[in-house]
Amino acid sequence: MSATPVLALRDLGKRYGERVAVDGVDLVVERGEIVGLLGPNGAGKTTTISMACGVITPDRGTVHIAGHDLATDPYAAKRAIGLVPQDLALYEELTARQNLRFFGELFGFTGARLAARIDAVLAIAGLADRANEPARAFSGGMKRRLNLAIALVHEPTLLVLDEPTVGVDPQSRRHIFDAIRALRDAGLTVLYTSHYMEEVEELCDRVAIMDGGKVVASGTLRELATAHGADGLEVELAGEAAVLALAIEAALALGGTQVGERLHFDARTAWAPVFGALEATGATVAYVGSRRADLETMFLALTGKALRD
Amino acid sequence: MIIATIRKELHLLARDRAAVFRLLVLPLAFIALFGSVFNSAETGAKRARPIAIWYGAAPLGTPIAAALDGSGVFATVRLGSADEVRARVAAEQLDVGLVIPDDFDPGAGRPAELVIDQGAPLQIRGPVEGAVAAIVDHVLSGGGARPPAVVAKSPPGIRQPLAGISAFQLSVPGNAVLFGFFIALICALSFDEERRTGTWRRLLAAPVPRWKLLIAKLVPYVAVSVMQLGILFGFGAAVFGMKVGGSIPALVVLCVAVACAATSLGLLIASLSATQKQISSLGSFVVLVMGLLGGCMVPRAIMPHLIQTIGLAVPHGWALDGFYTLLVRDGAGFVDVAPQIAAVFGFAIVFAAIGVRRFRFER
Repeated sequence: MSATPVLALRDLGKRYGERVAVDGVDLVVERGEIVGLLGPNGAGKTTTISMACGVITPDRGTVHIAGHDLATDPYAAKRAIGLVPQDLALYEELTARQNLRFFGELFGFTGARLAARIDAVLAIAGLADRANEPARAFSGGMKRRLNLAIALVHEPTLLVLDEPTVGVDPQSRRHIFDAIRALRDAGLTVLYTSHYMEEVEELCDRVAIMDGGKVVASGTLRELATAHGADGLEVELAGEAAVLALAIEAALALGGTQVGERLHFDARTAWAPVFGALEATGATVAYVGSRRADLETMFLALTGKALRD
Repeated sequence: MIIATIRKELHLLARDRAAVFRLLVLPLAFIALFGSVFNSAETGAKRARPIAIWYGAAPLGTPIAAALDGSGVFATVRLGSADEVRARVAAEQLDVGLVIPDDFDPGAGRPAELVIDQGAPLQIRGPVEGAVAAIVDHVLSGGGARPPAVVAKSPPGIRQPLAGISAFQLSVPGNAVLFGFFIALICALSFDEERRTGTWRRLLAAPVPRWKLLIAKLVPYVAVSVMQLGILFGFGAAVFGMKVGGSIPALVVLCVAVACAATSLGLLIASLSATQKQISSLGSFVVLVMGLLGGCMVPRAIMPHLIQTIGLAVPHGWALDGFYTLLVRDGAGFVDVAPQIAAVFGFAIVFAAIGVRRFRFER
């Protein structure tokens, strides 16, 4: 890995009146990585990447992109970033080629160099044969792909994707994933925000989990599973409502968490006292099973709430 | 970067049929309609207005009828009775009638009767009443050729008007300024569109200073506005015979001033509004009220004095004063419209200053 990270956020903070949107975020993305920024709606993901891209001015903290300080050397820093906003940020009345040309020119590309880049990103997005059609004629998936292509036209070092698959059909989603992997293989670094844990699990080398404006954990999936004990056991109880209420109360007191009708316990829990306490309430253990360390359970263990809350 | 943005905005505007309709089709239709209506009224006046007349056995009846016909202003229609004259005017078959009784003698308190709807606007009945009274007085005083007692002259310092001007000298600039300011609404809506679609975020993420971004966003609207005014004035001259008595370069500079004021008003409206609905309602209200006060719909000259003064609190009033001077007055140049050009540019600066101060890049 390179000594200079492609993206380094230090103590990044943003407040809107009384509401703290982002509270001291530290995040480092190394060259060639795909890092997932995971969190529920309102966790502060979009505000964080907006500050990282220079769209929003932070109240505190620093942003370095490819070694350039965004505050003191904003244009060099911004040239290194390609932003794919959550919205379909394109001009519907312009053709795909006109959209790419406009945004390429914004980044200082002209002439043959721009034309070559436009052809290259049209090929990446699978839109070469529709390049001269207005974007309004495209399907939702094609617009998403054009949204991605626009962020790539100026050859960024870091691609920042903000929930790029919202409302996308499976075929286009697969196309976007394949394109991201191919870009990573070609040396591009990717920061990918999502609240779809399966996307992050499939795509990302490392994950940073955000909640309440903070990064509550970061690392590889295995590191997170080990550190936060997300492997474990899940238990389903049967019995009268009053008895179940007592049993749940006992389970929570012993470190369990309730997820729907089941109780989740950490892998490191001492089981004998747990089952003893549950049976003492009069409840019957109807199901016991092991639980895989996925992002959902890790997120639950870290924040006490489900990812899509 | 500015050229790329201009090209992009022009592409988008060209595909926006509602904007093209609002900026070109609608004003051309209004110019044609208002210009034709007032032009036919003027031509009609020149053709002599029919006046019903009955004078029975009054000795002065025949000379008065002859004087009316000879004035070139009226063409008499002699009817069989006083009641028939009144009935024809009441039925709106004729606008005006004159009944001269057999014992007509104004000195003895037996005047002629001018039959006219006294509910008609003063601007319509006033000149008719004055003209008929003057012609009858002339006959009573013995008639014959005599030098006019009053001659109209422009005061020193005001250039003479062009000969043969038409109502299009008024309807073209009035509608050009009224609809020219609609660019403010279109410009403000384009800011909202950029924010709603997320392209504004992309623009902010580009390696471009924010002030440059704002200028690049506004310049295309100034260019489009100048083109719009050029098309409207060009069309007025080519199709409706509108004449330009003054300096063409001064006319172009005044058009640029109007375009700058309208575009910066768009920035101000965008900066004061949070939603598309707010822009539409605030923008339409501001543009129409300014147009009304500034004399785009009704000439300020016929408004009450207070409203005339208020009309100078909006750029439309100054712009129209300048355009009238350049269109109507022979040989008018930069010096004659310098105050108007300066005032309209002043409005542009004030709108832009408040708009920039209130504009939220990161909303």
